[in-house]
Order: sequence, then C-alpha cells, then structure tokens
Amino acid sequence: MYKRLNVLLIEDDAIEVMKLNRTISKLQLNHTITEANNGSDALKVLNETEELPDIILLDLNMPKINGIEFLSIIKRSEKLKHIPTVILTTSSHKKDLLECYKIGVSGYVLKPLKYDDYVLKIEKVLAYWSINQLIEF
Amino acid sequence: MSQNQIDILQRALHREKLARKQAEKILESKSLELFKISEELKDVNNKLTSLLDEKTIQLQGVFENINDAYIVIDIRGNVVKMNDTAVHLFGYNIKEAPINVKSLVYKEDYKYAINSFKKLLSNGSFLNYTARIFTKKKQIKWVHINASVIYNKQKKPIAAQGIIRDITKAKFSANLIEKQKKALEKSNNELQEYAHIVSHDLKSPLRSIDSLVNWIKEDNKEKFDVDTLKNFKLIEATLEKMEQLISDILDYSSIDSTNRTQQIDLQKLVLDLQKTLFIPTNISIKIHNKLPTIKGDKTKFQQLFQNLIVNAIKFNDKEKGFIEIDFLEKQRYYQFSVRDNGIGIDEKYHQSIFKIFHSLDAKKGSSGIGLSIVKKIITLFNGDIWVKSKLGEETTFFFTLKKQ
Amino acid sequence: MKGIVFTEFLDLVEHKFGLEMVDKIIEQSKLDSQGVYTAIGTYEFSEMLQLLQHLSRNTGISIDNLLLVYAEHFFSVLKDSYPDLLNIYTDPIEMIASIENHIHVEVRKIYPDAELPTFEIEERTEQSLIMIYKSSRAMHYFGLGLMNKTFEHFNASASIVLEKIKDDGTEVKFIITKN
Repeated sequence: MYKRLNVLLIEDDAIEVMKLNRTISKLQLNHTITEANNGSDALKVLNETEELPDIILLDLNMPKINGIEFLSIIKRSEKLKHIPTVILTTSSHKKDLLECYKIGVSGYVLKPLKYDDYVLKIEKVLAYWSINQLIEF
Repeated sequence: MSQNQIDILQRALHREKLARKQAEKILESKSLELFKISEELKDVNNKLTSLLDEKTIQLQGVFENINDAYIVIDIRGNVVKMNDTAVHLFGYNIKEAPINVKSLVYKEDYKYAINSFKKLLSNGSFLNYTARIFTKKKQIKWVHINASVIYNKQKKPIAAQGIIRDITKAKFSANLIEKQKKALEKSNNELQEYAHIVSHDLKSPLRSIDSLVNWIKEDNKEKFDVDTLKNFKLIEATLEKMEQLISDILDYSSIDSTNRTQQIDLQKLVLDLQKTLFIPTNISIKIHNKLPTIKGDKTKFQQLFQNLIVNAIKFNDKEKGFIEIDFLEKQRYYQFSVRDNGIGIDEKYHQSIFKIFHSLDAKKGSSGIGLSIVKKIITLFNGDIWVKSKLGEETTFFFTLKKQ
Repeated sequence: MKGIVFTEFLDLVEHKFGLEMVDKIIEQSKLDSQGVYTAIGTYEFSEMLQLLQHLSRNTGISIDNLLLVYAEHFFSVLKDSYPDLLNIYTDPIEMIASIENHIHVEVRKIYPDAELPTFEIEERTEQSLIMIYKSSRAMHYFGLGLMNKTFEHFNASASIVLEKIKDDGTEVKFIITKN
C-alpha cells in the first residue's frame, strides 16, 4: 500500500516546480505538492499550516534564506525537526554535501541534466518515502 | 797541637774553601740561568702585552663597526656603554645624558621585557627576544636582542651586554606577507565558491531547457516529423556537451587545493574506476604491473586516471580495442603509462593537447579540458607528462608522480 | 747524588767520630771531588759508597747500621728544611704510603735530576703496609731509618721487617706493622 504523501517543495525556479508537478502527473501519483519559492516562504507555510508535510524536498541555492540556512532553522525547531528532508540540488560541492549531512538530512539527490533521468530519480525517492512509516502530525 | 792535627785541620779548611768556591760557581751559573729566564719572561710578557693591545683594538673595532647595536647595561638597567649603531637606533647618547633601558621599552611589551630581564639574570643569557622599543623621537621600532650577563671574578653578575638588531622592516614585510597570504587564501576560497555558484547557475537553465524540450516532445508526440525529432536530439546532445564543459571547468579550477595525507591504493582505485565507467565490450583494459599505494588525494588521482582511460576509450576506432596500464618504480618518482590502439595523435599536437580548450576532435563529445586537468594534477604532484604515438595505430601517455 | 746527602753525612761523621775520621775516610777513598762537597752540587754515588765502606772498616759498624743512623739524622734535616711536606700528614702509614705519589713528586720539583728509589705498595690496611723497595743503590736501610723516624715523629711505633727479594738488596720487601 503506497501512502499518499503531502510533499513540501522548496524551489525558486519556476520550471523546476513545473518539472516536479509534471513528473507526479506523468507517473500518475496522487501525492499533494505544496510549493514555496524560498526558505522564508516555506517557514511561513510551515507556521500557518494545520497539517505538516510528510517530507520536504529542498533546493540549496535560493534567495533570501538559502537551503542550508532553512535546514538549520527547522532542525533547531522541536516542531519541525522530525520531518524527513531530502535535498534536491545541482550542487555536487563536497562542502555542501558534508554540511547538509552534518546538520541532518534524510537524503541528498543531485538533479540530473536529462529530464528522463530526473523522472526516474523522483519516482524512486517518492516511492521510498511512501512505503516508510511516517509520523502523523 | 800535633803536626798531624794541624795537617787534618789544614786539609779540612782547604776542602771548605774549595767547597765555598764550588758553591759560588754553582750559584753564579744558577743566577745567570735565572737572569736569562727572567729576560725571556720579559720578552714573552712584552709580546703578550702587544697581543693584548692588538686584540683590544680589534674588539674595539668590532664594537664600533658591527651593523647591530651593542650596549652594556648595569644590573639596574642603566646603559654604561653603547656603540654608534646603538646611538643611531635609539636616538639617545649616554655621552650626553644617562639612559635606562626601561625607558626604551614599548608599553605593551613591558611585561615581556621584565620577564626576559629576570630570565637573563637567572639563566645568564637570553636569545631571540623580539619586541618593540620607543626611540627618542617617539618612533616605534621592532628589535631582536640576544643578551648575556657579565660576571665578576666572584661570579656575581655585574652587567649585561646585548646585541640589538633593528628588524622593523623585516617585521613589516613579514606582516605584509602574512596579510597577503591570508587575503590570497580568502580570495582563493571565494573564487572556489564563486566557481561552484557559477556552475550551478549555468547548469540550471540547461536542465530547464532539457525539460522543456522533453515536454514539447511529449505534448506533440504525433505532430513532429523525423527531421524535427532529429533536431531535438541535437539540442539534447548540445546541452549534454555544455553541461560536461561546465563540470570540467569547475574541476579544473578546483585542482589547486589538494590534500596529500591519504594513502591511496592506485591498483584498487583503477579497478574501481573500471566498474563505474562505461566500457564498450570491444575494449579491454589490462594492468601489467600492480600499481603502487602512494600518498596523495583520492579525488585527484581518480580524475587523473579517469580522464586518461575515458580518452583512450573515446578515441578508439579499432574492432578490438585495448588499453594497457603500466607502472615502473624509479628512485625519485613513480612512472605510469596508459597505452591504447586508438586513432593516434599527430606529432605536431603532442605539446598543445595539454593546453586548455585544445580538443582535436570536437565531434567526440570532448570539452578539450580533460588533458589539461590531467596535466594540472600531475604538475601539482611535481610530475611530468608526455606522449608517444603512431598516427592511426596507437598512443601511449607517460606520466610521473614524484615520491614524497 | 745530591750534595746535601754528602755534606750532612760528613757533618754527622764529624759529630760522632771527630774531624780526624772525616779526614781519614776522605784520604782513604779515591774521590773525583777530592772530598769537596757543597749541598747544592751533585756527585757520584760511588763516592758515597767508598766513604761508607771506609767508615765501616774504621769503626767496625756495618754499612747497614751506618745507613740506619744516617737516615735518622737525615730525617731531622728534612723536617727542618721542609716542615710543610710533613705537616700535611696525620698518620705515619699514610705518609709512607704516599712516598711514590706525593713526596717523590715534590722532590723532583726541586731536584729534577734526582735519582730516586721506587716504593710500590703491595698491600695496605689501616695498621699495616707492605711495600717493595727497588733501587740500584741498595740503600734500603736508609729507607728503614727514615721510616723509623717517621713513626717517631707521629708519636707512634712500628715493627718493620725487611725481606730481601734480591740478595744484593736492590729489591727489598718492607713489611710495616703499626704497634
């Protein structure tokens, strides 16, 4: 039984947002995507929502509050630190990778160039998290 | 008195007379000997005196002419002697007014100075005292001092002497170098960060274009003709090439910093590479001599071998291709070779292939950075790289890595 | 041989036997020096030997006993001339044991050409000393006399046994036991 996931996507690039939405519909998955354009928007969403997301997909390079800053903030929050957070980024910079795992991430996925490869990766990530026992908020 | 007794007495007297004369003669010769010795002693003494004068003059010369300042102070710190260099350095002259070393010490270094002076008195000397002083003209100067205590015959300290060198300029240069080094490190780090950001910003639009192209294709599946689809393929290939180029430039710009503390088993590293690289079935890879374990940076060595192997694969046009990796241990360095039976390289390009953006065959999906990355890594490890080739038949890349 | 040994010897002969005896033994001997001696000169040992032989013959006293008596006299000469040399010692055994290493060293400083006997220490305890005397002069009784006086000087006494290692007396074992 696959669980229907409530996904928070934090991404400033409009096409990247479209890409995830399109991938979900292409794969005929019924997960819900909540979008936030940057870290501060995402914090607003998390503070206002009644239902916390099951997982967070997080881009690193963003204006205002960048991915790593956002990550540090939620990991310091008693309310939010349990949410599995998967990094979705172009940065293969070792420094970023180490920093993210140090703060605490559930996954680090490199965005591939090719759309087809992207679809495959997203399919696997979502499939993995939808078979996980997640915390009901 | 009998005649016999008289004779005895006369003989005794005669002997006594002779004995006296003998004694006088002996004493005479002894005193002559003594006189000669005393003359010799006088002579030696004169020689010693002139030698002492000579040495005193020499010492005076040294004292006056050394480039460093020289001062003698009593145990209370009052300067009792100073050479011209010292007068010049401090601006004070004891011939004009008395001066105590305490008044020369720069305020912030006072504690250090007092401790050093105590150490001087207890240990008899100190070396490499480095601190600031205040000159008469209120200038701050950095000085380096070696000092020692002068004792009297009863081994009581009576004074101290010090040689003082003005290191203001050297200190300034050292500070400047340190500052510049830090600035350089900072700017290098910033450049690194910048390179990563630029690479990200350049790659993002490429991904978007690829996605958009794919969506257009998906949404219009039946509508496009073969030529259009072919053009789409070309767009995708160009995007790939563009992305590779960006990755390679990032790699190239990241080579400068290196970590050499790891022990790297190159045999294992190359075998692992063979597992991760795509190797066509018509190409075989062989390692002739087991590769060594050397000190270095794993990522760099991976880039090094990967670039050479990938090139060898890319430029192989034979039905049965091979790549042979070999290794020789020399006294001062390791020598490696990667040989292939590919298209070969014309001798006129043997130098230029290692320069950046000098790909010989643009069609092969090569950015022209691979070999310059290889060259840069080898240079980083104080090695060298060169190539031997027969056009159309084979190519061997030789490279060395210096032993640590 | 140092002149002082001759002058002191002849003084002692004059004192004990009179000037006639001095004149007699000089006249009887064949002496290069003609019997003319000064303390600061140096003379052949054979002259001393002749003087001793003639004194022995004239007095009927053995050469050894003559040497013994002379040595006892000579000790007082040394004591008067070099009091410092004696004053540094507190014990006779200690002083005798240091003949070779200290006293003879000092003697050579004053008389570099002095020909001295050797005294090798064979065994030493607090109370006893065994030494081997070696000298071509065979004047071991002279040594014995000096040693007797040494003990006397420190208000002590000792029994000193001489064992000749060589019959001619050029090598003699001194066995000294403090009483």
